[in-house]
Amino acid sequence: MATIEFDNVCKSFGDGINAIHELNLKVDDGELMVLVGPSGCGKSTLLRMTAGLEEVSSGEIRIDDRVVNHTPPQQRNVAMVFQNYALYPHMTVRGNLEFPLRMQKQPANRIEASVKRIAEMLDLSPLLDRKPKALSGGQRQRVAMGRAIIREADIFLMDEPLSNLDARLRVEIRGEIAQLQRELAITTLYVTHDQAEAMTLGQRVAIIDQGLLQQVGSPQEIYERPNNSFVAGFIGSPGMNLIQASLSSERGEIGLRLGSKRLPLPQPVLASYPGLASHREERLLVGIRPHAIHLAHADSTQHLAARVCAVEAMGHETILHLDTELIMHANPKTAADKARENQPHLLVQLNGHHNFRVGDQLRIELGIGKLCFFDADGRAIG
Amino acid sequence: MRLNDQTTSALLLVTPALLGLLLFILLPFATALVLAFTDLRLGSPLAVNFVGTDQFLSLFNDPDFIRALLNNLLFAAVVVPLQTILALALALLLNRGLPGTVAFRTLFFMPVVFPMSLVAVIWSLIYAPGENGMMNAFLQWASFGLWEAKDFLRDPLLAMPAIMLLSIWQGVGFQMVILLAGLQGIPQTLYEAAALDGAGRWRQLLHITLPQLRNPLIFVMLVTTILAFRLFDQVQIMTRGGPENATTTVVYETVQAAFARQQVALASAMTVVFFLLVLSITWLQRRFTHHEREVA
Amino acid sequence: MRPGAGSILLRYLLLAGLAIFFIAPLLMMFLGSLKADHRVLLESGSLTAFLPHELSLQNYSDVFRRTDFLRFFFNSLFITGCVVICGLVVNALAAYAFARLQWRGRDLIFNLVLALMILPFEAIAVPLFYGASILGLRDTYAVQILPFIANAFAIYLFYSFFIGIPKELEEAARIDGASTLRIFFSIIAPNAKPVFASVAILTFLTWWGSYLWPTMVTIGPTVRPLPVAIASFYTLPPLQWGDILAFGVMMVSPVLLLFVIFQRWFVAGVASSAMKG
Repeated sequence: MATIEFDNVCKSFGDGINAIHELNLKVDDGELMVLVGPSGCGKSTLLRMTAGLEEVSSGEIRIDDRVVNHTPPQQRNVAMVFQNYALYPHMTVRGNLEFPLRMQKQPANRIEASVKRIAEMLDLSPLLDRKPKALSGGQRQRVAMGRAIIREADIFLMDEPLSNLDARLRVEIRGEIAQLQRELAITTLYVTHDQAEAMTLGQRVAIIDQGLLQQVGSPQEIYERPNNSFVAGFIGSPGMNLIQASLSSERGEIGLRLGSKRLPLPQPVLASYPGLASHREERLLVGIRPHAIHLAHADSTQHLAARVCAVEAMGHETILHLDTELIMHANPKTAADKARENQPHLLVQLNGHHNFRVGDQLRIELGIGKLCFFDADGRAIG
Repeated sequence: MRLNDQTTSALLLVTPALLGLLLFILLPFATALVLAFTDLRLGSPLAVNFVGTDQFLSLFNDPDFIRALLNNLLFAAVVVPLQTILALALALLLNRGLPGTVAFRTLFFMPVVFPMSLVAVIWSLIYAPGENGMMNAFLQWASFGLWEAKDFLRDPLLAMPAIMLLSIWQGVGFQMVILLAGLQGIPQTLYEAAALDGAGRWRQLLHITLPQLRNPLIFVMLVTTILAFRLFDQVQIMTRGGPENATTTVVYETVQAAFARQQVALASAMTVVFFLLVLSITWLQRRFTHHEREVA
Repeated sequence: MRPGAGSILLRYLLLAGLAIFFIAPLLMMFLGSLKADHRVLLESGSLTAFLPHELSLQNYSDVFRRTDFLRFFFNSLFITGCVVICGLVVNALAAYAFARLQWRGRDLIFNLVLALMILPFEAIAVPLFYGASILGLRDTYAVQILPFIANAFAIYLFYSFFIGIPKELEEAARIDGASTLRIFFSIIAPNAKPVFASVAILTFLTWWGSYLWPTMVTIGPTVRPLPVAIASFYTLPPLQWGDILAFGVMMVSPVLLLFVIFQRWFVAGVASSAMKG
């Protein structure tokens, strides 16, 4: 059992690129912390530094208050599950499970007992004499987990352990990992680029972008009160709509100016975002989750006209891509926006199936109680 | 100490190999470069003198050595194209996966595993003089009796071609295997596309196969050219450079100088010439090879 | 495009013609080794050369009577075996350090090693011979083994293979607590069998047939290997072709045996050496 602390950790590679920039983070004993971010954000580098596979450029990594910057991986007592599992291809499942114990020079009878226990725990008993090549993706994943668990290491490191599985299996094993981790109560650092995985798995989630820690918190905190516009756009599927707006006050009443519309902000909203008061007459970004936008009732006074550009019908829900008079803020940091490049649409997520077609005109209404506010630099207004 | 600095273990691992390369390749080679400018003779009690380029001058005034150089060039000029074309033909014949391909490939490759010394002995029997010799008998049969039996290895005109033929016999399988591997690396879709574009077999060979085989072909020609300049075993065993120097080679002359005449310095100068030849061939190959270096 | 029946026939005719060219010397050697000495040359000019009749093993026993064949065979086996086995270990370890370990000077030294590949043995034979002579090392096993263990080309072949082994395997092993040597022997080597086979085969072929160097350094029959032995047996009067061919068959049979068993590896080994070069 152990804690992991990152204290002002920096990592720069030879080419002057900063992979990690002054990162501070503490993982509590027994906690499952998920590191999430777009590919290339530095999350894997952080994991590999924890394992001892990469050097720390400056700052300190402490495991159980012991600085491990210069401790080779062999002496850190950490276990790691690799993205491609890194099962030893020439060894059977049994050989793979035994290997870390053999390196510890454990006696044969103890090794055998451990292998038996782990194999039963992970349903690997009938596979023990097979080579990795003869296993399915899910089975390989379980062997990789087993090889990590069997060590009884202080820390568990997982580098995108599910990304080589198909979608159905991923969801299934995700649950198993969460359960195993709870049972073993072993401090775990889990890296993924999939925000959904992060949200369902993590007791706490750390979001990293461009080597900077953006936010740490419980999935709910991160979802409801994103620290900044990057987190808002990155978390959620699809991410939060970010709309350019300005704050105006007329006759003492604070309201949002969204395009030609003016949306008065009701008292409860202002109360939960006291910071808004200091941003009067400023331009800001308004965030709203796609499912917080509804089709307007016939008698609505706050509706927006919109035109359907694309429909993603999923059966249980329908996502509409809408053109409106609103000016959307493209978040250049998220991969989804990069792919789209041109002016992003307003996304609306409706429950159930709806028969819309491209070109349809409709009227929508924003759920005013579910707005988030960010200043011009993308920082959340509290 | 840095976390991932593995200098200590690395030195442990590379030292035996580096020591070997240093002692048995680099050092001797450097020695050859130095000795070539002296007048060292093995076992001579006289002091060794630095003689500048005298050895090289005497080399190029030595008709035997000039003949050896010319013989190597002739050997390369004949054997390289012949052997490459034959290897390419074999590879193309075997590439279509006809039944029995594996047996033919095995047969064509088999001489490659034969020691050259043994090949030279077997072919000495084939080239036996008189009508009983296999080669004489074959040529007589093929020319409807017009061929008169010859003593191939003692005929100044025939000795070199005789050695060329057995060299091709022994070496062509090696090239064939390399070209076959190259052929198998050409995506089938290229041929399908060409066929859709209306290219016949001949055009497919010309416009797809050969360009795609460019690098293996150049490699194969380089290896054969260098082998042509390393020619020794066959000559030593079958003809000892004769008759009338018709089959002498640079390496043969070098060994004669060092071994038979103890002229280490002269032999070193020959070594240097030999090395420069090999170096320039390699340089040529590098120039002509496309460097889209796939990671193999 | 499917070749027509005529074209297939043509292919087979061509292949058959070429096959005769390749097989005739081999057949003549095998059958000749089983025929009485005087018949070998006599029959070589007619098709009877390829007829198996009145065969005996007399020539084989003559070889053992006339020469110390077993000694030569042992010499070749010992010398080649040492070069192959020591070479595999020494070159693979070095290649591993070049391919995977982090150390200062690595790339510079590796490039120097690669540069050595263009030096054919003939370019160093003379000074090596000179060195062996003044050190009095001629006519020993050592002089036929030691210089050939470290080999730049073998290092290169190993290096190319090791580079392609997923790095994560080693990282997993390091995290599992394995030392560098342990990783090499437990993880890398077992996953690099093809390259070990290729290098072993290429080295074996080279040194089993090596003639130039042993002919320079060996004097008596004590440490003489087979290629030198057959060349001198060939000149040993009286010229008895049956005996010579029997000697040849025995000399090449271990290679042929290996070739037949490991044909796939032979071919792959040769081809891989080219593709990398």
